[in-house]
Amino acid sequence: MKGGGLLRGYALLYLLFLYAPIILLPIFAFNSSTIIAFPLSEFTTQWFREIPNTPALVESVKTSLIIAVSTALLSTVLGICAARAGAKYRFPGKAPILGFIMLPLVLPEIIVAVSMLVVLLALGLPLGHWTVILGHTLICTPFCIAILNSAFANLDASLEEAAYDLGETAWSTFRLITLPLVMPGIVSALLISFTISLDEFIIAFFLTGTEPTLPVYLWGQLRFPQKIPVVMALGTILVAMSVTLLTFAEFMRRRGIAKAGRKDTGGFL
Amino acid sequence: MAMSRLARSEAARGLLMVSPPALYALLLLAVPLAAILAFSFWSQDFLTIDFTPTLKNYREAFSEPLYMQLMLRSVLIAGSVTLATVILAFPIAYFVSFHVPPHRKSLWIFLITIPFWTSYLIRVFLWKVILGYNGVLNTTLQGLGITDEPLTFILYNANAVVITLAHAFAPFAILPIFVSLEKIDRSLLEASRDLGENHVMTFLRVTLPLAVPGIVAAVLIVFIPTIGDYVTPRLVGGPDGLMIANMIQTQFLKLNNAPMGAALAVIAMSIVTLIALFFLFLNRKYLRGRS
Amino acid sequence: MKNPPIVSLRGVHKYYGNYHALRGIDLDIGAGEFFSLLGPSGCGKTTLLRTIAGFEDPSDGVLLLDGKDMAHVPANRRPTNMVFQSYAIFPHLTVAENVAFGLRRRSDLDRSAKQKMVEESLEMVGLGGYGGRAAHALSGGQRQRVALARALILHPKVLLLDEPLSALDKKLREQMQNELRRLQRHVGITFILVTHDQEEALIMSDRIAVMFEGEIAQLADPQTLYRRPVTRRVADFIGVMNFLPAKVDGRTLEIAGLGRAEVQPDQAPSGMPSGSGHIGIRPETMSVLFEGEKTPVRVADGKVVELAYYGDMTYYQVLLDGTESPVTVSMKNLVGRKVLERGDRARISWDERSLVVFP
Repeated sequence: MKGGGLLRGYALLYLLFLYAPIILLPIFAFNSSTIIAFPLSEFTTQWFREIPNTPALVESVKTSLIIAVSTALLSTVLGICAARAGAKYRFPGKAPILGFIMLPLVLPEIIVAVSMLVVLLALGLPLGHWTVILGHTLICTPFCIAILNSAFANLDASLEEAAYDLGETAWSTFRLITLPLVMPGIVSALLISFTISLDEFIIAFFLTGTEPTLPVYLWGQLRFPQKIPVVMALGTILVAMSVTLLTFAEFMRRRGIAKAGRKDTGGFL
Repeated sequence: MAMSRLARSEAARGLLMVSPPALYALLLLAVPLAAILAFSFWSQDFLTIDFTPTLKNYREAFSEPLYMQLMLRSVLIAGSVTLATVILAFPIAYFVSFHVPPHRKSLWIFLITIPFWTSYLIRVFLWKVILGYNGVLNTTLQGLGITDEPLTFILYNANAVVITLAHAFAPFAILPIFVSLEKIDRSLLEASRDLGENHVMTFLRVTLPLAVPGIVAAVLIVFIPTIGDYVTPRLVGGPDGLMIANMIQTQFLKLNNAPMGAALAVIAMSIVTLIALFFLFLNRKYLRGRS
Repeated sequence: MKNPPIVSLRGVHKYYGNYHALRGIDLDIGAGEFFSLLGPSGCGKTTLLRTIAGFEDPSDGVLLLDGKDMAHVPANRRPTNMVFQSYAIFPHLTVAENVAFGLRRRSDLDRSAKQKMVEESLEMVGLGGYGGRAAHALSGGQRQRVALARALILHPKVLLLDEPLSALDKKLREQMQNELRRLQRHVGITFILVTHDQEEALIMSDRIAVMFEGEIAQLADPQTLYRRPVTRRVADFIGVMNFLPAKVDGRTLEIAGLGRAEVQPDQAPSGMPSGSGHIGIRPETMSVLFEGEKTPVRVADGKVVELAYYGDMTYYQVLLDGTESPVTVSMKNLVGRKVLERGDRARISWDERSLVVFP
């Protein structure tokens, strides 16, 4: 088609724009200079070796992992409930209820953060892991629902009826038919909510207790130039992990589509 | 449990099923939002909260030039970010939808979404590295002899905030536009050509109008989070790039003036809601006019 | 119905909010019958089928399966199995696993017995050796067969089929119609078929219930249904029927365009009207007379206003003298028989024994 070449050129430039920061990340992570600028000095793996020797950083990684795993489990379970209810049942107030659950998706995170903070402080509750988990679950649940909605909506209702008709109970039908067929969606929901939680800053910044999450720790480190190369090294590892997880999530999604015998429509979210 | 009985009480089953996430959202979203609203009508004297309802915070918010300036700047920056992001994103969505072979489309979408999933904080920081005085961009431009001196208008100001946020929210703009373009029946374009329109007019008279819902979704989905962004203004914005979220944070955590922060948050939320409603109204009116 | 009923419905109603989907269904379906529920979409036929299966609860009325009240028996405990419109083949299981699905709870059978049953079942539907295939790699016709094998392996008392052939193309559909009929005779199980295709219902069924708006309009065997429809609506739904106004005096009719006729009481299945009424006459029971053909007793004259040539048949629209709307007359295109043209005069022969009288 005409204009395709021009568009393709633009698309490649745009991809460069999208990937520019991520390409730079490993470059500075392996650069021996503490100043993050060109020209580069020598190649080093020193910054990677320093990661395990920075106890505060290791602690923050642990904190973040605990929070991200809890958030992923909690928000996926809540997401399953909402997606299942949305796909299978008609009930009064369905659209407003589901819309309200999806609201955090269109609410500036700072609002979510300060409003929860206000309530927690007013109730005199101590901040800690659990407060961050609560906040993260609130913003991750809509993402889980978005992913699980398509998994549940793609599920032909007559498959469950068929299993029931062939003598299975409601529960064994769910276990034998529903669960295996939506499993790829569940796995992607877990992975994506895990990734969001791991990366989330503002809510964690407001709601974290004495033990900061990784992004909150990084935020503190960005002010000290000599610490930045270690941050770059850690960032490189995080990017590699995210890409791996997402590739896996995408793989599961495609397998889910193939399993259900449907054509890939290409939507990632 | 019997499915016949399930069917009879379908509404009850549905409500039961939806209740965990609904109650969760009620307790952790509705209650806190109500609390923020309540706080905004109270006042604080050092550490004690005065519960007498007052409009003092709102009066202060609207009379103090700094607050209004921050609010206006937030709207302007978020507006510029939205405009830049959507205009830059549209050709990409168009390219993937119309010029990429179907079996490669999900790969492209995957490639576009990948950078979005890598640490936001570090990405913003790297933009600082790219745009800085000795940054990647300036060294490259000088190295290639395009400029003699480092460009200074690209860091620690609103421009830097716009560039950085346009990068951060790119996938949010591309995806909805892509989805709306994918939905367009390709025979409509052939029909337009058949009826005598050229490529450009077909695009303007058929493709673009049918993509409007996606564009509106993209506008909202970019505008809403950017107006409340905190990290980017702090890292690359400099004093002229700070936005309302930074002030809300200051009120809550530094000045210990939660009621003032709450009032600013409520005002910010109202502005977001008004603008969102305006766009949704525009979209609905547009759709109705068409059908 | 020759055999005692296996399915009995008495006064069955179904409401969805204000919508009255089933309006008092009384129905007996005999053991071993091939029974069809026929009607346009939205007539309640699928709701009725799903009520028998147990996926819908009747709002009122009684459903007996094999003499037992089904009011508190859920779908998974009923002696019925269903072939779904979409076939509902479990995409994550193989063909054999699909067919064996309902045997999981049969602890009285060991592994090899189950395997043998699966093989026999697949053999029966013509899919011998397909057990190892992935379900999503099957064609539409094969899915249909797997769905049949999966339901029949449980030896239900009643097999329910929800528009099972609607997704297949014409050739395959005709082939499956024959196979389903043969299979039903072979296993001797009661089949209840939901369809909107009147031809399909006529070909396959022992008896047919025609449904409109949640009610059974007529319950009869295919021949009676075709030849003696009780209402103009049923007549119109089953094949093509011409309607002409008539004056009625006892059993003597004065039909517009056709003239005088005498009818028997059974030709007015919903009762002989008095004064004025309508007659119905099928296109194939009339013929266009050609020159030199023997003149039968009853003839009428008119003009060809339109014709459609189907290859084996020609359908003429003939405006009979003294009438306002044309009637359809179908003619086999036999050797040497010429096809009339638009505007030609035509002489039609007809037979008073083929008339149906409606109010």
